[in-house]
Amino acid sequence: MAAPASVPDDLALAERLVRFGRSCGADEIEVGIGDGEEFSVDVRMGQIENLIEAGSRGAGIRVIKDQRTAYASSSDLSPEALERLIRGAVRRAELSQPDPFASLADLSPVRIDAASLDIFDPEIEALPAETKIKLALETERIALADRRITNSHGAGFSSHIARTALASSNGFAGAYAKTFCGLGVGLQAGDTDHLVEEDWHSSRIFFRDLESPEAIARTAIERTVRQLHPRRIGTRRVPVVFEPPMTASLLGFLFGCVSGTAVYQRSTFLADQLGRKIGRDGLTVIDDGLMPRRIGTGPFDAEGIPAQRTVVLENGVLKRFLCNTYASRKLGLPVTGNADGGGVGPNNFYLEPGPHDPAAILRSCDQALLLTRTLGHGLNPVTGDISRGAFGLWIEKGAIVHPVSEITIAGNLGEILRNIEMIGSDLEFRGAICGPTIKVAEMLVAGN
Amino acid sequence: MIGPSLPFDIERRFGLDARALVSALEAALATGGDFAEAFLEYREYRSAFMEEDILKDTSESFSLGLGLRVWSGETTGYGYTNDLSPDKILRTARSAAAVAASGRAFPAARLVPRPGGADVYRVERPPDKAPFEAKIALVRAAYEACRGFSPLIEKVKASIQDQIQYVAIANSEGLLAADVRPLVRLTCVGIAQRNGLRESGYSGGGGRVGLEHFEGSASPEAIGREAAREAVDLLDARDAPAGVMPVVLAAGHAGVLIHEAVGHLLEADFNRRKTSIFWNKAGKKVGTPEVTIYDDPTIPASRGSYAIDDEGTIPRKTLLIEKGVVRGLLQDKLSAKLMGRTLTGHGRRQDYTDYPIPRMANTYIDRGEHDPAEIIRSVRKGLYAERFTGGQVEDSGQFTFSVSSGRLIEEGRLTAPVKQATLVGSNVDILRKIEMVGSDLAFGLPTGTCSKEGQDVPVNDGCPTLKISAMTVGGK
Repeated sequence: MAAPASVPDDLALAERLVRFGRSCGADEIEVGIGDGEEFSVDVRMGQIENLIEAGSRGAGIRVIKDQRTAYASSSDLSPEALERLIRGAVRRAELSQPDPFASLADLSPVRIDAASLDIFDPEIEALPAETKIKLALETERIALADRRITNSHGAGFSSHIARTALASSNGFAGAYAKTFCGLGVGLQAGDTDHLVEEDWHSSRIFFRDLESPEAIARTAIERTVRQLHPRRIGTRRVPVVFEPPMTASLLGFLFGCVSGTAVYQRSTFLADQLGRKIGRDGLTVIDDGLMPRRIGTGPFDAEGIPAQRTVVLENGVLKRFLCNTYASRKLGLPVTGNADGGGVGPNNFYLEPGPHDPAAILRSCDQALLLTRTLGHGLNPVTGDISRGAFGLWIEKGAIVHPVSEITIAGNLGEILRNIEMIGSDLEFRGAICGPTIKVAEMLVAGN
Repeated sequence: MIGPSLPFDIERRFGLDARALVSALEAALATGGDFAEAFLEYREYRSAFMEEDILKDTSESFSLGLGLRVWSGETTGYGYTNDLSPDKILRTARSAAAVAASGRAFPAARLVPRPGGADVYRVERPPDKAPFEAKIALVRAAYEACRGFSPLIEKVKASIQDQIQYVAIANSEGLLAADVRPLVRLTCVGIAQRNGLRESGYSGGGGRVGLEHFEGSASPEAIGREAAREAVDLLDARDAPAGVMPVVLAAGHAGVLIHEAVGHLLEADFNRRKTSIFWNKAGKKVGTPEVTIYDDPTIPASRGSYAIDDEGTIPRKTLLIEKGVVRGLLQDKLSAKLMGRTLTGHGRRQDYTDYPIPRMANTYIDRGEHDPAEIIRSVRKGLYAERFTGGQVEDSGQFTFSVSSGRLIEEGRLTAPVKQATLVGSNVDILRKIEMVGSDLAFGLPTGTCSKEGQDVPVNDGCPTLKISAMTVGGK
């Protein structure tokens, strides 16, 4: 492949385009340039199925003129195309209505040194394709060697090098590079009409932080076969224990409900709850863009606001909504460094771990559902209502007795936050949103 | 060398010489691959968005790129670039060719332009050529109709998105085909509030159509009012019941259930890999005789339609299940080759950065014999599911989908409105439980997008009123 454009080149281009936009009449202009190199390999049944190796660049532009906003983007980075795009955007701004809150971010005096965040692994750049292919093959081979596994969805390794440059007419200019890599496998067990399936993967910034093929395969096997021979259960209200990936999914829903964008749009049930106690004591949720080597870390957000650590919930009290500049002006609340595209996105958004060993949480349950997986879209941020298809393991007298299927769980995020009885000590930063095992006092589990 | 039968001038649109494509295909086969294909794409995308009583912003985006794939046996090598210089195209071809290692080079056949399939696009006023002002007027009309529907409406969001996608496919078998695909959608979300209780409603319209589409029954006013009506009605809805009960699915929107519960598992890749529960059921009975399912990419103006698929195949209406018996699969070139089947024209991709995989287009259950009113009368106690927010399925056949609004059925009559329920089941089971199929086939809102393996493509789905004898319903 051709040598990719370097970060300083992209930043110089972004700054030049900002000057060009100003000369075309934009009051304010922000230009982001992204440059990515992708490698991914999928293997299945010991053979390479797909191998992708590619690179691409793109520019995203925001123009404000007389408080009127226009956006533009292009994957054609020729000077003619970009200049035409910017001239078009400046003209198009007139079509929008003046919005007194429309403005680029204020320039912050804080600058975060990307190097201090440790989000670029030079080893990924140098990693030969053969090594990556071997890791995927090895992961699947270990999984398929287990006789209980009857089919494979395949294993995959992927790596990504992303370079971001951002310049803005408020004087901001910054650039950084970030790496990602991931390894995972998907498995099936059981016969054709009674299949169960599950996958497991590891994603990290640093290659050497990835879980081993052995560890990934073992976890995937265990998580797949434990679902074999499920029983159905009757509809009832019981405590529900969330495994860490399920807590992460619940936190993803919470993130959408504390997003400043949702708050000013009144599309979250938490819109009027700032400063109120909405959860149990001990419930503390943080968004932190400064944690070295974590997936959600970066020196600045999509508007050039420096990364920070924001306490969202502290001991159950709702302390902050996560705001980009627009939501912050609209709501009169501080910006939090969460700008992402036109909206708000998580940095490292997590629930602080509690004192309980996850095994002890299970032992505390007389009768409960251990929630292992959900399917579907039944999350309503306007009401906080949750209704999803679910898979899990049934717990009797503190021990797992059998898997359950064809059930749904239903509840309300507001009620769940008030009813989290126990928080596990097992927080692991597996993605940008994560949490430990939790036990919710009661939810409706619908079955037979 | 590019003939007049293609819908646009490829060399001009992509700014390249067709000889560069031939060289790329040859370079892609130089290491021993047995098939190579170039996919060129240019897309213009525009949108306008209104909220808070303000036309907030407009957006315009251009993307241009080339994807190159090479097969060597069952292995696919793929590369893409958005730099279409001959040098960069060659490099991309060589990187895609790295998967092949037999060293036996095949010559690429001479490219022969091939006319497209049926004209499935219905455009009088092309959205990409229309002034932005015309599209903004539609957004504003939908917004204001939603806002004005009731004093209970607290917030409204409305937007229009249109795109025009130029694609060209050249492969080492000599195929050269092209397509120009229009797509537009106008959507509106309303949030109603009463005594602190908030509910949201959604509606939309569009398809492979021009702006004249919004002059008829899909007027922006109708779209805005429908979003408001749903939000306001939900304020009076009670929580859905939970448990196992008969479920009647309303015609149209419930097509998403067919898409999730059946359609995905009839995509050929899952069957070739034997991960779909249908892989060994060709010709076998899996459902009641009431059930006949098609996928038809050639329905004029429909959101999921196309004149050629993303591999250059002319698509055809494909019978998937006939009177409960599995009759066909949705094929792309790779699966069709490996399974020894004929192509159906369902190889689709999100954009040039993705290789094609088998996808649905417009999936539906065919009409049956029953009067919809008779179907409702046959239920003593159950759920009538009207509107849906989406669903998900896994290969094992377990699926779930979310009902946003519906009614209770009591003694054969529709009674109290209910909200937020989740239906779960396994498709083997549900196909055997479809007891009655109505005569009122309809399609859902033409705004849907299907995700598979990280690739989003526009789709549509439909069904008549359906009765499922028993289904697990999870309430709130």
